[in-house]
Amino acid sequence: MSEFKVVGQSVPKADALDKVIGRAKFAADISFPGMLYAKALRSPVAHGILQHIDYSAAAALPGVAAVLTGKDVPGANNFGIIIKDEPVIVKNGEKIRKIGDTLALVAAENEAIAEQALALIKVDIEELTPVLCPIAAMQPDAPKIYDKGNVLAVRKIVKGDTEAGFRDSAVVVQQQYKTQMVEHAYIEPEAGIALFDGDVVTMWVSTQNPHYDAKEVARNLNIGLNKVRVIQAATGGGFGGKLDVSVQVHLAMLAVVTRRPVRMVYSRTESIKNSVKRHPYTITMKTGADANGRLTAFECTIIGDTGAYASYGPGTLTRSAVHATGPYEIPNVKITAYTVYTNNPQAGAMRGFGVPQVAFAHEAQMDMLAEKVGISPLEIRLLNALRPGSLTATGQYLEQSVGIVSTLEAAAAKVREIKLERRGGRL
Amino acid sequence: MKKRGVGMGCMWYGVGNTGLPNPAGAHVDILDDGTVLVLTGCADIGQGSDTALAQIAAEEIGVRYEDVRVVSADTGVTPDAGATSASRQTYISGNAVRSAARAAKQLILETAAEMLGVSQEEIIAGDRLLKVRAASGKSQAFTDCQSECRVGLGLDSGSDTREVSIAEVIAKCRMKGKLTLGHGWYNPDTTGLDAETGQGRPYATYAFATQVAEVEVDEDTGEVTVLRVVAAHDVGRAINPRNVEGQIEGGCAIGMGYALMEEIKLQEGNVLNCNFATYLLPTSLDVPEIYPLIVEDPEKTGPFGAKGVGEPALIPTAAAIANAVYDAVGVRITDLPITPDKILAKLKEKQNKGA
Repeated sequence: MSEFKVVGQSVPKADALDKVIGRAKFAADISFPGMLYAKALRSPVAHGILQHIDYSAAAALPGVAAVLTGKDVPGANNFGIIIKDEPVIVKNGEKIRKIGDTLALVAAENEAIAEQALALIKVDIEELTPVLCPIAAMQPDAPKIYDKGNVLAVRKIVKGDTEAGFRDSAVVVQQQYKTQMVEHAYIEPEAGIALFDGDVVTMWVSTQNPHYDAKEVARNLNIGLNKVRVIQAATGGGFGGKLDVSVQVHLAMLAVVTRRPVRMVYSRTESIKNSVKRHPYTITMKTGADANGRLTAFECTIIGDTGAYASYGPGTLTRSAVHATGPYEIPNVKITAYTVYTNNPQAGAMRGFGVPQVAFAHEAQMDMLAEKVGISPLEIRLLNALRPGSLTATGQYLEQSVGIVSTLEAAAAKVREIKLERRGGRL
Repeated sequence: MKKRGVGMGCMWYGVGNTGLPNPAGAHVDILDDGTVLVLTGCADIGQGSDTALAQIAAEEIGVRYEDVRVVSADTGVTPDAGATSASRQTYISGNAVRSAARAAKQLILETAAEMLGVSQEEIIAGDRLLKVRAASGKSQAFTDCQSECRVGLGLDSGSDTREVSIAEVIAKCRMKGKLTLGHGWYNPDTTGLDAETGQGRPYATYAFATQVAEVEVDEDTGEVTVLRVVAAHDVGRAINPRNVEGQIEGGCAIGMGYALMEEIKLQEGNVLNCNFATYLLPTSLDVPEIYPLIVEDPEKTGPFGAKGVGEPALIPTAAAIANAVYDAVGVRITDLPITPDKILAKLKEKQNKGA
């Protein structure tokens, strides 16, 4: 008999029925009388300066309710969860840092008119050399994406003495690993709908963090946070990609200017082109062990391409650094993680937050060491796994609920039961 | 020729933001009829937080799951619960909801204690009832079991435990002009990281996992098929085991796409494959047999021992698949994704070295 009555029960998911029968209301399902449709004009170049924008023909097009450019942003004109470096709309004379930067917004009676209006806007952009590789971006002579330089953050972790640790190692493996940029591919693209009643801006939006969204709307509209109400509509997945602002500030501005309900729904292509991505990494890892396979020293350098804007970049690289050893106790550790700007699509939070990349690397290292020492993959992991009483790379003392050994044992038991056979010997 | 291989991947994952404050708040209102309203800023994006938070509130107050309604993620109504990220909502919002539920329950317990003529410590809550704890010498489980057996035989429960329903207690509270509202918040116990050494306590707790993948590699085409994945996850406590299994299975699917298929192709900063005809994801036909294993090493600061599973589910999958590919054909691919081209190139390289 469980000590709990409700916890531990597989009760039906609260939202399951509505989603299965199609009753759940996603933002694109919500509409109001007199609603306008919003579209954004986006930069076709990765690095440049917006010299001039002429939207007179678009504004004159019948059915267009509003055209907004950078000068129309009433507040800060920047957003970002960690660093406010991304413009709501790029202003004349200011920098474009990626393909997809917003140059203008249109609200119109229907989507076709909105698209037509976008085509009538003329932009003059002075192109700059784009920086596309994070390693090149780190060189002193690289073109600067930001005045302060292209290296956004450096996170260091140092514990013990790795030189001594490697000196005492019987085996050492060193390898460079690379991981790719990937897309979240949530089933529902970004969408929202906003209203302004003359006092409060209310919006329904697909989001992972409505309270953060409200703060960015308030700052950029220059209104009180209590005058913004963000309601999460049913959300078709996020995986970290809906932690950043997409349609929120744009919709709020258009609703306030037009005094009409405004809806904005990304196409799949728009979503993939403009949303954040998983960071591509270059990881160099060196791991040492004694003759029995006990880990002695670990060094790791990580370079993450965070793209044009910070988003969750520095947080991602910090998490990578903290987790780079894997769930193992190593006495001597030296880790450096660089978050680097480029003119690529910005990378941000994505399920795993910088840890899938380093896990790919540290787990290859463990297998290579096991092979050199002549023990099995399970044995080397059991030997080095964190336990209650272990110290992590950041010097954190782990007191309790350290279940890595239990998961190794549970997995190994299942492997025996269903007869998974390792070609190279025992698991 | 097709060859099979097996590989292992492990991971750990700190729950919550790294070395930064990241609190969550919640409000709980126990209504006139004994049903419960939970207000939380936590956005349910399909992962099941509305469900888990309802279970946590129901357990703490002593009502049934269906008695609780969660209103979430509306800044005009709900308190800030921070981001649905960092696998933090079960642990952090779970603690916030539990704390709010406890505060509201405290008001009920005060009144129930008066009604039952005992101290609050002697009252236990469950299944919409507040009961006086069994007398010493008899365990609660024994008393409950005895009552259940009697009811099963068509007799009255025969229990000597005195009890009142939560609805009765609420009625009494209202007669006294007492509302049963609770507010709670939680911020995990962390420190910042030292700028030079990175030393500190970045997370209050960590989730752990081990996954083992079995693959089949076609040496002629380089194609990798994932056959089976065993996924053992220490989640502290599974609030809803089926939802935890769902997270694990979904994670393995995403991890498999990461290992073998998915890659954004860029040209001068422009995404070339920006639709699902050219950006390849695993489909249901690609997903292997998955054996989710829930390991519970309860976290003493977690709500009923819970930690988190959202992100851990996918973290070791690519690592396990890469190690399995090496076991199958003896080549180690060190850049993701592990495409047929890369495998064939490495196999050729290996063959040339051997010749």
